This record gives sequence, C-alpha cells and structure tokens, in this order.
Amino acid sequence: MALLEVENLQTHFATLDGVVRAVEGLSFKIDAGETVAIVGESGCGKSVTSMSILRLIQEPPGKIAGKINFRGRNLLDLPDVEMRKIRGKDISMIFQEPMTSLNPVLTVGRQIGETVRLHEGLTAQEAEKRGIEMLGLVGIPAPERRVKEYPHQLSGGMRQRVMIAMALACNPKLLIADEPTTALDVTIQAQILDLMRDLKTRVGAAIMLITHDLGVVAEMAERVVVMYAGRKVEEATAVQIFGNPQHPYTRGLLGAVPKLGSSLQGHGRTKLTEIQGQVPSLRQRIVGCAFASRCPIVTDVCRQVAPAVEAKTPGHYVACHYAERAVAA
Amino acid sequence: MTSSTLMASGLSVGDVAAAPALPDVLAPRKQRSRIGMFMYRHPTIFVGGLLVALIVAIALLAPLLFTTDPTALAPARRTRAPSAQYWFGTDMLGRDVYSRVLYGSRISLIVGFSVALLASVVGLTIGLLAGFIRILDTVVMRVMDGLQSIPGILLAIALMALTRASVENVIVAIAVTQVPPVSRLVRSVVLSLREQPYVEAAVAAGTRTPIIILKHILPNTLAPVTVQATFICASAMITEATLSFIGAGTPPIIPSWGNIMAEGRALWQVKPYIVFFPAIFLSITVLAVNLLGDGLRDALDPRLAKRI
Amino acid sequence: MFAYAIRRILATIPVMAIVALFVFSLLYLAPGDPAAIIAGDQATPADVDRIRISLGLDRPFLIRFGEWAWQVLNGDLGVSIFTNLPVTHMISQRIEPTLSLMSLTLIFSISFAIPMGVLAAWKQGAWIDRVVMVVAVLGFSVPVFVVGYILAYAFALQLDWFPVQGYTPISVGILPWFQNLALPSLALGLAFIALLARITRATMLEVLSQDYVRTAKAKGVDQRAILFVHALKNAAVPIVTIIGIGFAGLIGGAVVTESVFAIPGVGRLVVDAILRRDYPVIQGVVLMFSFVYVLVNLAVDLLYTLFDPRIRY
Repeated sequence: MALLEVENLQTHFATLDGVVRAVEGLSFKIDAGETVAIVGESGCGKSVTSMSILRLIQEPPGKIAGKINFRGRNLLDLPDVEMRKIRGKDISMIFQEPMTSLNPVLTVGRQIGETVRLHEGLTAQEAEKRGIEMLGLVGIPAPERRVKEYPHQLSGGMRQRVMIAMALACNPKLLIADEPTTALDVTIQAQILDLMRDLKTRVGAAIMLITHDLGVVAEMAERVVVMYAGRKVEEATAVQIFGNPQHPYTRGLLGAVPKLGSSLQGHGRTKLTEIQGQVPSLRQRIVGCAFASRCPIVTDVCRQVAPAVEAKTPGHYVACHYAERAVAA
Repeated sequence: MTSSTLMASGLSVGDVAAAPALPDVLAPRKQRSRIGMFMYRHPTIFVGGLLVALIVAIALLAPLLFTTDPTALAPARRTRAPSAQYWFGTDMLGRDVYSRVLYGSRISLIVGFSVALLASVVGLTIGLLAGFIRILDTVVMRVMDGLQSIPGILLAIALMALTRASVENVIVAIAVTQVPPVSRLVRSVVLSLREQPYVEAAVAAGTRTPIIILKHILPNTLAPVTVQATFICASAMITEATLSFIGAGTPPIIPSWGNIMAEGRALWQVKPYIVFFPAIFLSITVLAVNLLGDGLRDALDPRLAKRI
Repeated sequence: MFAYAIRRILATIPVMAIVALFVFSLLYLAPGDPAAIIAGDQATPADVDRIRISLGLDRPFLIRFGEWAWQVLNGDLGVSIFTNLPVTHMISQRIEPTLSLMSLTLIFSISFAIPMGVLAAWKQGAWIDRVVMVVAVLGFSVPVFVVGYILAYAFALQLDWFPVQGYTPISVGILPWFQNLALPSLALGLAFIALLARITRATMLEVLSQDYVRTAKAKGVDQRAILFVHALKNAAVPIVTIIGIGFAGLIGGAVVTESVFAIPGVGRLVVDAILRRDYPVIQGVVLMFSFVYVLVNLAVDLLYTLFDPRIRY
C-alpha cells in the first residue's frame, strides 16, 4: 500500500469572478521513503495540491473533493481534531518563504517546541531540550543560544533550517517541501538540499517536493509528476522524464532550461526554447486538452477530447493523444 | 479543414481515450447584470448612497413636506405627544418637532459637507507642501502632532468659547480638529509616491515641481482623501450635534438636531420623543455617510481598507 | 529597550510644549475680541477690561506666554473667572468621577471589543462577523449622548435596574459606585468598542493571512492557540496603537456622558464653564486632558516592546 494516494483531487475556489479550478482531477501516489517531485510553472496548482493534502485550504471559499488516502485513511473524511493530529506529526510541511513563515513574536525554541508539546505531550523544559537537539541536527551552531532567539535575529538560510527542524521534530512519515530553496541564495540552496537528503535517510520520511526548478528535481527526486493547469500531464521516474520526456509540455519545460556548456552562438547550439502562448484561464471549464492552446503538435482532436492519463510504457504515464507519435518524432 | 489535419495526424475523436468527466465541486455562480454586480460587490455604497440621497432630498424639499414654520412659538400647545396633527409632537415652546427635525437636516448636512471640504482642502495643501519641502516637513508635522494631541471635541469647545456662536464658526472649529489627519494622510501618500520610478523619472527629467504635483501626485491623493472626507463628514455631524447639545455649538435659535435635543434634555424622562426623533434622524444620516465611506474605501483604496 | 524608553519619554517633551503653546495661542488666534465674547452681551466696557487684564490680553504675547508657561510648570492653571478659585483646585475636586468613568469604560471596552474582533475575524463572513460589523458601524454613527439616553430610558426608567443618574464615590462602596457608573460607561464605551472591535478584526484578518499562521496550522496547532497565541500577539501593536489614539474620543465622550448622567466630574466642569463663559477653566481642562492624552500614547509606545521583540531602538 502506498503511503499517500491522491485520487481525482479537485480543489476549487469560489471568487467574485467565478469558480477557479486550481486543481482538476489530479491523481498520484507516494510510497514510503520515496522522493516525488511535483513540477510545473507557477499557477499550475502544485502549491494548492500540497495545501489540499494537509487541508490548509480555507473552506469556503475553497472546496476540496476527491480522495486523499494517507496510510489507508481518507484525510478528507477526518474530523478536524483527527486532522490536527496528523498535521506536523505524520505529515509536516516546509514552506517557500523562510523569512515570513516563522512567527516573528515567538522564539525559535518555542516554535519548534510547540510541535512536540502538541503531538508528544512533552513539558516546556523537555520541549526546549528537543528544540536544542533539533537545531543541532539541522546544523545550527550554538543551539542553546539560538533557541532563545527570535526569527529576525537569524539569516534566511538559518530560518529555513529552523523550518526543517520544526518539520522533522516529530519524525513525520511524509515531508511536503513547497519550493524549499527558491527564496535562498544558490550556495545556501545546495546546503539545504544536502541537509534534506541527509535527514530523509536518517528519519526515513518520504518527501513530496514541490518545485519549478528542474535542477532541484534532478538532484533530489526519484519520481516526477508534471502538472499543467491543475492537471497531471506526465508522471515517470526522474530518469525517464529527463531522458525520454513524452508530453509536449514536459519537453517544452526541459527545452527552457539552458544546459551547461551549451553556447547560444555558433553551430551545434542548444536552442533556448520557450513555450509559446498563455496558460488557459482556470475560471472556465476547459474543453479538450488543457495544453492545446500552446501545443506545437495540436490537432482538432486535442481541442475536442481531453486526453486520459495512460501508461505509455510501464510506470510512465502521459496525458497526450500523441504520446507515441511524440516518441517517434 | 478538419478532415485534412485529422488525416495527417491519423487520429480521430473515436480513436482516443478521453479523460473521465469531472463533477462541479462548487455551484457555478449565477449571472448578474452590471447593476446587480455593483450592488453585490459594494452593497454599502448602494445603501449608504441611497440613504444620503434621501436625506439630501428631505433637506432640500423640507418646505414641501407638510412642514410649518420650525421656529413658530405656540405656548398654548406645548409638549404635545406625537399625533396626526403633530407627527413628532411639539416641544416646550410649542414648536412643531417634525418641522424642526426636517429643517434641522439642513444644518447637519451643511456642517458635514463644509467641514469635509474645508478640512480636505487645507489638509491637502499642508500635506502636499510638507511632502515636498523638507524644511517645512519637520516644522509642520510637529505642529500637527501638537494639534492632534488635543482631543478634538475639547479643541472645538475651546475655540467656540472664544468666538460668537454661529454655524460658520462651528464649521471652522470642527474643521481645525480634522486638518491634522488629512495632512498626515496626504503627506504619507506624497512620500511614497516620490519613491515611485515614474515620479523619480519625471524629477530626473527636470519636470518642474508644480507640474509633478499636478500631474502625478494630486490625482493619486484624491481617492484616499475622498474616503477620508466622507468619514470626516460623518464625524463632523456628530461633533456639531454634540457641541450644540452641550451649549457650545450652533446658536440655539437655529433648529439643528443637536439644539432640538439640547432643548428636549430637561424633559427627556417624561417626553422622550423630543430627543428621540432628532436622534434617529442624526444617527441614520451619520450611518448612511459612514456606510458610503466604508464602501468607497473598499472600492477606491483596498490598501487603506486593510489598514483600518 | 532602555534606550528606546528614554528616547520615547524625551520625545514627548516637545510635543507637550507645542500643545501648551497651541492651547495658549487660542486666545490670540480667535477672531474678534475674546475678552468681549467671554464677558458676554450684557457686559459693561469696565467688565470687558477687567477680563482682558485678568487674561493678560493687554500685554505682549511672548511675555504673557512665558509667565503662563512658568505657572503651568509650577502646577498653576490660573483662576476661574466665575468662582475665583484656582482651576487646579476645581479640577482636583472633580477628578475622581471622571477617572472612575474612564477607567471602567476602558477596562470593559477592551475586554469586550478584542474578543469580539477576534471572533469576527475567525468567523469572517459568518453571522457573528456580521453582527460585530453592524455593532461597529452603529457605534460610530450614534452620538454618545443618544446612546446614553437610550440606555437610561431602557435600563433605568423602564426596567429600573440602575439609577438614572448621579455618582457615588468609590469610598462609599464598590457596588453603588459600580451601579451608578454601569450605564454611563456602557454609553461611553460603545463608540470605543466599535473602533476597537473593528481594528482588531481588520488586523487579525491581516495577521491570519500571514505565512506564519499557515505554518502554525501545518504543525497541527488548534484554532484557539492560533488565534490567541500566534495571531493576537502579532496584532497587538496596531490594537494598542488604536487604544491610544481612541483615548481622545473617550475624553471627548466623557465630557458629554457626564452631562447626560449628571456625573459631577471634570467633563461637567467644562460644560458648566461653557455656559458661564469661564475661559480659564476651559483652558485648564483642555490642557490637562491633552497632557493625559500625550502620556497615554507614551505608555502605548512603551507597551510595544512587550509585544514585539523587533522593537529595540
């Protein structure tokens, strides 16, 4: 049994301008200990997906439908009390903005300690001890002193370490990391990724990594889910995605990454391609394939029939009528 | 045209696997007309605006609305309860409360609008000058700090104690208390606008200061000042009534809502209607203007809406 | 922290000086002859001259201001034209009821308004939020004396739960003291509650949309702790700021409330002084309340450091 099984997830929002279908019929699985990356452009619904799993979407105006089975239980059916027991304990989350994701008026120690006090019933002193331990574990020097400090006294990289310490304090089964390194300097990014990889093996957590950075995907992920306009367009192992991308959107994404050593001039250059056109509005029901408006190989069939997600080769799922043809081309 | 492309691709609608259809999770929104949409988004502008229009109409049409002379004394029919003849009853001097209340709306509206206008114009001027002239800024803002540190009603009371009671003096006294917040608001808008790239570009290009103020700054201050002016109008009407109520406002011979209530004060335990009717009119009018202000703020200045 | 406090305290001195200069200048800024206006329409020229001399209007502004400022620094606010008593003496006789009224109002407004605002923000759009918002708009729109009369009519005249008017010193007994002040402080508090509930709601909504609240939710923190531990402490600075600013309205409202409920406080003193055209009393009370207001806002500034660790300079 998979650790997490998302089935036909739909997350919609009622706005004054109509219903926004941020996630529309998304399905994927994460096995225990596995790292799965969810990639796509901003606005493709990947963050909303992660928030939906923890049910952090305000309802109303939002609404989550479908199934989110975590260790066999559908999280969408749980009462709030049960859901709170899962948040921060079985499933925890790291956010994109370490500068704003920590409470500015509470000490770092208090914020880490709060998690263990809630889920493991520790006393204040025990919680502080655990806080110091965790800060040491994520590589913050002088944890005894830092634990009493406020977030504004820490650098961005340190704050993200604190976030990681907080997320791992209760040994979660699943860690959702939403763009964990986007807001950081490149050197700090590498350190944080190393830290996550290292701690993952130690804690044995599965990671759901949300990112638009294909470099991070290549470095971290075993499997990749590519999202477009709230839908899954392709899913495969990282090797398959980078070596044999099937969906025209995935190929567009990969084409948009400049390769090291490629030159923009002269012969044999790798062209820096961009995907033409605009993401369709999520306020209307999309008829046909969501990518049709930007697809280089679009046909009338695409505009009329939304493609089902099919296994083109074992373990490689693609939502494109022309997937095989794309391989031949 | 379709057949050729389909032929080329070798696929037709029947050949492909379609994704399963998904249900509507949320009910689709119903379509609204443009007026309906405006009412839905800004109900307070609609309700407030409608009520303000009604009160203005009452003030303008007071002579036509079955009123009698609001100052006509008739000792013979003092303190009558509301009846078919005297809708809101009569006061201690036998004057028709209905007529007085209707005519009283004129004073409140005049005071409210005049104070809003005066405080906005003066505050706008001071704020613009302070925002643009560095030396002036420190001095003016210190003075505004001091002025703002005197509780508004007390300042107005002190000013009224030193001048003759008249509607004009009431307007000036209340406006003085409202100038500091407006100038502060305008100054902060000016200071943030000066940082804007397009204003910096205009300065760098050698555009003269008056032109910059006129073209770039003033238009951007109008929305927040309008919102502020609406709230000033509401609070000025309350202040006028309060000043009149404690005997430091409009001269007693003028039927303002505050004066009617001040006169009804002595009898309020036995003849509460004399206080009641002007109180209702005043409250509804102030409420209407406040609603309008809330709506305008939400519509014109979402950032300000978040702050208050 | 200490340096911040010292700087804040020192910063109030020029503000107070400007307030004093301003209050004093009113006599000179007013159009027309203030001595004649204060003397009234029936006064003889000799009366007017007497008042002019007693106000010092016959001497140059700066000299007179210097003398007056020195007196104020020595705790002398001048002498009443009507009673010939020192203004400070008259104020000190009347201060207890006013102090009682304002502190009671402050205590119960804050303890009502903040939970109301928090609740409204939490249940944004629900009926409780609408009720709070209606109360808030109404509180802004109904003058304090109207609220006073409505409350007195309903709860004193009709239901007879409270005395209609008057004041009992706290030394006589807490219960009668409270019974007399219950309705006045409710009337005075409504506008303050409206202001405070509104600002609490708005600030909480802003805070609840912050990333760190999402982090707290993701940790499994329950709703109550999110509201009162994570959010309210962050909302505290704007809320206490508004308490400080709103204090001016409370002072103005107290003047009127004391008239409605016949409470013999400083507010009544002012209203009586208006009717008697006793300007030194008005001037003294205005100056005293302005200083109190400045000090309240100083206290607010110092409170910031309790709530926000980032304020350290």
